[in-house]
Amino acid sequence: MPDSPAPTVIHVDLDAFFVSMELLRHPELRGLPVIVGGPGARGVVSTCSYEARTFGVRSGMPGSRARQLCPQAVFLPGDFRFYAPASRAFHAILRDYTPLVEPAGADEAYLDVRGCERILGDGPWIASEIRRRVREEIGITASAGVSTNKLVSKVASDAGKPDGLVVVPPGGEAEFFAPRPIRDLPMVGPKTAEALAAIGVTTIGQLAAIPASVLEGRFGRHGRELAERARGVFDAPVLAGRGEAKSVSREMTFSHDEPDRARLRAVIRGQAERIAAELAQAGKSARTVTLKLRFPPFETLTRSATVARPVGLADELFEAGTRLFEEAWAANGRRPVRLLGIGATNLQERARQLGLGETLEADRLSGAVAEVRAKFGEGALRRAAELGARVPRYGAGGASDPRLE
Amino acid sequence: MKVQVLQENLQRGLSIVGRAVATRSTLPITANVLLQTDKGRLKLAATDLDIAMSAWVGAKVDEEGATTVPSRLISDFVSSLPPATVQMEIPERSRQMKLECARNESSINAMDAEDFPRIPEVRDGVAILLDAKALKRAIDRVEFAAASDDSRPVLTGVHMKSDGTRLTLASADGFRLAVSDISLPTAPGETVEIIVPARALRELGRLIGDGNEPVEMRINGSRTQVLFALTEVELVAQLIQGTFPNYNQLIPTEYNTRCIVDVDEFKREARIAAIFARDGSGIIRLQMAPSQNGMPGELKVSARADEIGDNEGKIDADIAGDASKIAFNARYLQDVLNALTGKVALEMTSPSSQGVFRPISPEGTEPDTYVHVVMPMFVQW
Repeated sequence: MPDSPAPTVIHVDLDAFFVSMELLRHPELRGLPVIVGGPGARGVVSTCSYEARTFGVRSGMPGSRARQLCPQAVFLPGDFRFYAPASRAFHAILRDYTPLVEPAGADEAYLDVRGCERILGDGPWIASEIRRRVREEIGITASAGVSTNKLVSKVASDAGKPDGLVVVPPGGEAEFFAPRPIRDLPMVGPKTAEALAAIGVTTIGQLAAIPASVLEGRFGRHGRELAERARGVFDAPVLAGRGEAKSVSREMTFSHDEPDRARLRAVIRGQAERIAAELAQAGKSARTVTLKLRFPPFETLTRSATVARPVGLADELFEAGTRLFEEAWAANGRRPVRLLGIGATNLQERARQLGLGETLEADRLSGAVAEVRAKFGEGALRRAAELGARVPRYGAGGASDPRLE
Repeated sequence: MKVQVLQENLQRGLSIVGRAVATRSTLPITANVLLQTDKGRLKLAATDLDIAMSAWVGAKVDEEGATTVPSRLISDFVSSLPPATVQMEIPERSRQMKLECARNESSINAMDAEDFPRIPEVRDGVAILLDAKALKRAIDRVEFAAASDDSRPVLTGVHMKSDGTRLTLASADGFRLAVSDISLPTAPGETVEIIVPARALRELGRLIGDGNEPVEMRINGSRTQVLFALTEVELVAQLIQGTFPNYNQLIPTEYNTRCIVDVDEFKREARIAAIFARDGSGIIRLQMAPSQNGMPGELKVSARADEIGDNEGKIDADIAGDASKIAFNARYLQDVLNALTGKVALEMTSPSSQGVFRPISPEGTEPDTYVHVVMPMFVQW
């Protein structure tokens, strides 16, 4: 731990990122409750505008529930191809200040600017610079929190939303936390909050007042952590490159349960293509291929196969993925499928032992496809075989978002 | 049968033929060793039906005959006996062999020699006389590159082909290729082209050991079996049928970079790098930088494992041509280096085409024609 703590840890979070991006191209929607995410029976709210939040809409909520709460909301399907360049630009801005950037998703990250103060200015100043540049260069707003650790900075940036900057001076952590509701602590979920409310604890300050030994007795190891965090103590450092994926996957929920074998295989084809592109970009190949299959109403099964020779090419992923699928599907009476996804895990450095007399055509092709997609978006190049499937504009997801690792 | 044999002779013979005993077989008798009087000596033989080995040891034959006993049992037993005369006796049509040595007596259940698979004899066909040292060296440089899985049976063998007074041994497993020549004192009566199971040659190499006596290779007329005859030991193998790939086209004749280094230094750095490589993808990276501004050329040997760390070793190198890089499977690289001594040249044209290893003969000696081709790993640098 540093001898003289300084507020050098910054958490930056883009405000209602997807909605903000939509408002850029639909300025006429400003001031209205806007929801990005499926309004359909199985859609989920991905992001909602602050106007929608006043109606009680929250991200992660079923679209149908959001519709009930806020019937006048404007629903927009997600368009990741449109958001991705902005996300890249955002992370690039952060890396202008320090290489110590820990991405926590497409729209948020932690930075530690320790040691940069003399040249660039102190933490609060860098945070305001970042907010200014996001506004000017991307056209959307970001909130930031600055403190001595990731936990306090995260709570601070949430407190500043939207478009705010909150600086918590060293030593002021407990005071900053004290009046805040218990749910503001990232590790407190509904269950813990309920349990705490049962003993009369509703603010972080009340929690901090309880001796650690008591919390430990009540909640076990989790209790000791709670006690520390309630006082704003958190010593996990900002780790650059933590965003490196340990797995890459794609899955898709069908709007109608899909009974057609050819269509299902076409979906796997598309997923294999996209996973292959991501693997190629990361320079990885996979020892294990996984399958996720869901039948209505909510019967989920996963299967995996570990291969002797690591795979990375779309054809290899497709072959392994369909083999898993055919087996699992047959074993389940070939019922209509609600969700289908494949993934690559057990990643290792991409390397392929070339055979005597072998050429590199397949690798070159996969590299070229990955380049085109990186430049022009995932939809720029598709296999003809995928055209049989109703490819959703917004079916991607998976591990391009490091939070889902 | 009634014979007397010196314990150490019997032990040596049993340990030789024990290598051919079947370990898992549906034919139980192949787990036995055949004991048979043969012109005043005792012949020991074993076979797993792919290869057969016979060894003759000096004996005092009191009564001719033959029998078979479990190889593992008699080997363990004889090797524990004191160095004295062992008397073995089994009456005609008996199932019990009696053994006496010093003051130890035992009897071992035997199976009838009539039921033992016939040990093939190759007495006709074409014969080639081979220098033991040259043959041993060629085997050591080639057999390890043969395939260990039998998805393509011909690749589990070593291709042997004669051309005048030259006999060329070659093996390949789909990722690497090793080719070594032996010069023959005289050209064989007819051209020979056979595929010998790599395992048979591995055993032959073991039999030759440090020995000097010439080895006779004899191939039967129907080209189905080969016999290697040493003094008092013979090995017969079933030949692999099929066509060996035409490998000459896989050996590049040109290169953009040629890197000459000391084999022992290269071996050491490869061994160190392999420690790091084994926790990653098993890759060793080589980077070659030609001499520049009076600095000697350099070969950089490195490996890394995401979760573990990385390693880099440098050795002086005599480099002709462009700066270059190539990555190999750690085992393939170590295998070829272990087969070499002195200095080696690594020739290559690109990171995604063959790496060619050739020994550098000391000046004034006959050029060494051994060549070993390893396909690289395709990696992101």
